[in-house]
Amino acid sequence: MCAASVEALFSLLTDRRKIRRSGRRTLDSGSGPPEERLLSILRQALLLFSLDRFLVRDADAIMKSGRILVTVRGEPVDDARHSAYREIKAVTAHALTVEEGPSGFTARFVLDV
Amino acid sequence: MRFEEISLSQVSETAWEIPRTGGMLVPGLVFASREMMEDIVRDQALRQVMNVAHLPGILFRSIGMPDIHWGYGFPIGGVAAMDVDEGVISPGGVGYDINCGVRLLRSNLEMATLRPRLPELLAALHREVPSGVGSTGTVRLTPPEMDKVLTGGSRWAVSRGNATEEDVEFTESGGRLPGADPDAVSDVAKKRGLDQLGTLGAGNHFLEIDEVEEVFFPEAAAAYGLFQGQAVFFIHSGSRGLGYQVCDDYLDVMAAYMRKHALNVPDRQLACAHIGSDEGRRYLSGLAAAANYAFANRQLLAHQVRETVQRVLRLGPRDAGIRTVYDVGHNNAKFESHEVDGRRRDVLVHRKGATRAFPPGHPELPAAYRDVGQPVFIPGDMGRGSFVLAGAPGAMRLSFGSTCHGAGRRMSRTSARQSLRGKSVFAEMERRGVLVACTSRKTLAEEIPEAYKEVGTVVDVVDRAGIARKVARLRPLAVAKG
Repeated sequence: MCAASVEALFSLLTDRRKIRRSGRRTLDSGSGPPEERLLSILRQALLLFSLDRFLVRDADAIMKSGRILVTVRGEPVDDARHSAYREIKAVTAHALTVEEGPSGFTARFVLDV
Repeated sequence: MRFEEISLSQVSETAWEIPRTGGMLVPGLVFASREMMEDIVRDQALRQVMNVAHLPGILFRSIGMPDIHWGYGFPIGGVAAMDVDEGVISPGGVGYDINCGVRLLRSNLEMATLRPRLPELLAALHREVPSGVGSTGTVRLTPPEMDKVLTGGSRWAVSRGNATEEDVEFTESGGRLPGADPDAVSDVAKKRGLDQLGTLGAGNHFLEIDEVEEVFFPEAAAAYGLFQGQAVFFIHSGSRGLGYQVCDDYLDVMAAYMRKHALNVPDRQLACAHIGSDEGRRYLSGLAAAANYAFANRQLLAHQVRETVQRVLRLGPRDAGIRTVYDVGHNNAKFESHEVDGRRRDVLVHRKGATRAFPPGHPELPAAYRDVGQPVFIPGDMGRGSFVLAGAPGAMRLSFGSTCHGAGRRMSRTSARQSLRGKSVFAEMERRGVLVACTSRKTLAEEIPEAYKEVGTVVDVVDRAGIARKVARLRPLAVAKG
């Protein structure tokens, strides 16, 4: 669910199909309730773009000692190949939910654009 | 009148009160016509007005402007003044884009003369004024220079030759909020800001060339140097990534403060700390620093506009006459003196999507505007135009010297894009007589005029409510967006 949320975030930023998987980064949620761990991961993911100009093509996640480690694959922005759809100011805590259902977890988060 | 469990009583033609219920410490007060209220109740904005009324130390009313809409924690278009001893400061009451605001530049140019040069001028402005997601400015700050921006605001730009003393005089708070402390801004926030100074950004930020189409209040227009048929330049931008990061950083600090002090508020995005606490004071220092960054940002943008227009039109500064009418923010929290319940008090006024609108005679106004009131700029949409207002006496009685800040969205970004059904925004805007240059077509599609409420109806409400007075209407003719 965390990995899918990161991919969703980057789908709102750009066309992920044009991102090459040439680099790799790891995000660590820390401990806490599921909502806080998701918020932490998404904030770190947004900073990858805002601070390091790194775009994420895809991601996967593992649980380790109660923390979620998300490995993302992607590359730095190449203005010739990547176009940014919109500016995302922040991932907010407003109405953020993580719910478990029969087929897995569903996350809902609100972005300030 | 009841909407979704919220009681509303219409207290005047343009004002509605939400009575105190539950843990509300004060009533709510929302400025709107009856027709607008039917739109406003469709989202959660009124519930948010009620939530804000729960915050410790709130005075008089939790206030909503006619452009109110759902925001994170506080509604956008919300005003809340806090007692400085018992009240709280909330980053959600300011917003992510700290001191986002508007600057209007006037000129000696008449639109009738300028019109044939508009395509060339727009192309040059779009090229010279950096815009778009992740855009970087021509200034690359060193860390020591960044600290000077954070403490100096527009004054820093004067020292570089990118601003005049007159620019600073005609900027809210002289373009510099006191109390800014660079150490209250995280390294991440500073890093985000190092190469973004002098950039417009994306989303609803813009640079426009407008024509003064109609003047409603000639004395004020004359004081502001505006006349019918004049070409003016309109800039909307804020504190960029640095401001967003300051907000994000302090939401965590405030959440920890609330846990420590068992402060309960109805929505976690209302995270706050007492104004006098270490956490509260530190956020206020970081807020002032980010606000100063925003002032410096708009100043550099204005300087770039001035230089570009003069170069393209081959005019000297005196002939072009591009001068700052005023620069005013609409996302801030400021210490001000107001009369509350018959007593003058120092208060902290949160304005989130609301503009300071001081009336004639206010001591903080530049001498040139003291007889007519503070200029207020209300951007509409890129098709139907914008307004210049003047602060009016009612604002001091009813809204802590505040008024609206824009048209307010009526369509989500997705709905706006879908409503186009493949039509070209460029062609549609051209049909309306507006030239457009943009970095992202998606952004442009999300900013179509129909996505916004008609700004004229918003402005009519604040004019009739007596919290601001209409001065002039501006018609956009060329728009550059990120």
